[in-house]
Amino acid sequence: MRRAFDLLLVVALAILLGFLLLPLLALFLRVSPGTLFAQLGSDVALDALWVTVKTGLIAHVLVVGLGTPAAYLLGTRQFRGRSLVLTAIELPLVLPPAVAGIALIAAFGRRGLLGGKLEAAGITISLTQAAVVLAVAFVASPFYLRQAIEAFASVDRALLDASRTLGSGPFRTFRRVALPLAAGGLGAGSVLAWARGTGEFGATIMFAGSLQGVTQTLPLAIYAQLDQDQTVAIAVGALLVLVSLAVLVSVKFLPSWTRFSSA
Amino acid sequence: MLAAAVGLLAASCGGSSGDSKLTVLAASSLTDVFGALAPDARLSFAGSDELATQIREGAQVDVYAAASPSYADELYAEGLIERPRVFATNRLVLVVPSDNPAGIEAIGDLHRPGVRLVVGAEGVPVGDYTRKALEQLGQTDVLSRVVSEEDDVKGVVSKVAFGEADAGFVYATDVKPAADDVRAIELPREAQTEVLYPIAVVVGTEHREEAERFIELVLGERGRAALRKAGFGVP
Repeated sequence: MRRAFDLLLVVALAILLGFLLLPLLALFLRVSPGTLFAQLGSDVALDALWVTVKTGLIAHVLVVGLGTPAAYLLGTRQFRGRSLVLTAIELPLVLPPAVAGIALIAAFGRRGLLGGKLEAAGITISLTQAAVVLAVAFVASPFYLRQAIEAFASVDRALLDASRTLGSGPFRTFRRVALPLAAGGLGAGSVLAWARGTGEFGATIMFAGSLQGVTQTLPLAIYAQLDQDQTVAIAVGALLVLVSLAVLVSVKFLPSWTRFSSA
Repeated sequence: MLAAAVGLLAASCGGSSGDSKLTVLAASSLTDVFGALAPDARLSFAGSDELATQIREGAQVDVYAAASPSYADELYAEGLIERPRVFATNRLVLVVPSDNPAGIEAIGDLHRPGVRLVVGAEGVPVGDYTRKALEQLGQTDVLSRVVSEEDDVKGVVSKVAFGEADAGFVYATDVKPAADDVRAIELPREAQTEVLYPIAVVVGTEHREEAERFIELVLGERGRAALRKAGFGVP
């Protein structure tokens, strides 16, 4: 009886695993590794890589720069409306990408709430590289914030208090005590946010458009190349699979690694 | 539980093959006309290039109607569809947002610095027609004003309709559904390359009779009237 049950569990796992891995494997088998590498050197792929890295980097500086102090506040203080703020931060996580796209247009588009005023001042965001940065930051920041809040919240309160009693100011306490202790969680959140930003598609194609070398990121290049040169689309897709794998592996090992190094 | 999962999956693919419904793959611009002509058929609308890919991948479908002869010709040469017949024509127009913020009245105005133009990408029928038209006018340098190359007409229309772009090239038949938000500017006659819509039976169809009947309907009086009403030309 017990063995039959175990067998059932194993069968279910095997089917699921096969289902999840087969498409990824098929992607690599569809085109020979030689062609894969050759296509990654194509102009479209290289331009898309550059746009993705550049916009991702700028968005990341914004997300981490604003997200870290915000998460410190949310992770270490209790105040009225805190859970409301936490919910608001997580909303973009569950929002369909198409909604994010329209929402960004409504806010930052040329006729948008804020975009209209910027337009009057001569600044246009939509259909430019700045629009890619905003789209990426919008969808990626909740990933960082969530991890960062948790990381700061799990720092032992007594250590922060001890630091203050020993005469350290709040900034010094944040920098010398809280930040190193939360580093593992912050690193993991940062990598996850970066990965989500790299895969951003829906909001970008609506709000930023798609132009090679300017706004066409890797996911957009896949979509554009589907009806042009499918080997390029597959090669870029395979590259993104490898990047995602690297991200997952580093998230798994990062927290333990930093714990050792800061010990 | 496992059996239930497999059963559910089987039920959900039951819809795609083996029953008696005619399946028509048609270019997005045909959505309204075909919907009215064949309310009982299973209609799937997308870019002509995307639909051609589906046929190459072995989708079980019966009729292919495209917005450009090139994909139909390729599929015919590959033996995947039967001889295509032209059933409609369309033409390219320039659209601007209804409030026309950049004050564009003719193609020449697109040269002005700061103008934000959106076109179809290369390889997408509307994008290829756009480039051909600009070549015939000797105005290919306006392509330097392009801020986005879209993967289908819908992308071009929506960016102009939202006012994010100042102008875009689309088919005449795309203007009517978005008439509240965009205004069409006709192109000079010498810019027009005839946009041809071919239709064909897909090789290996299990609904040959219905497929041929549908094509006759489209080519016949009722089809021509519906096409004309939507802004298409008929051969």
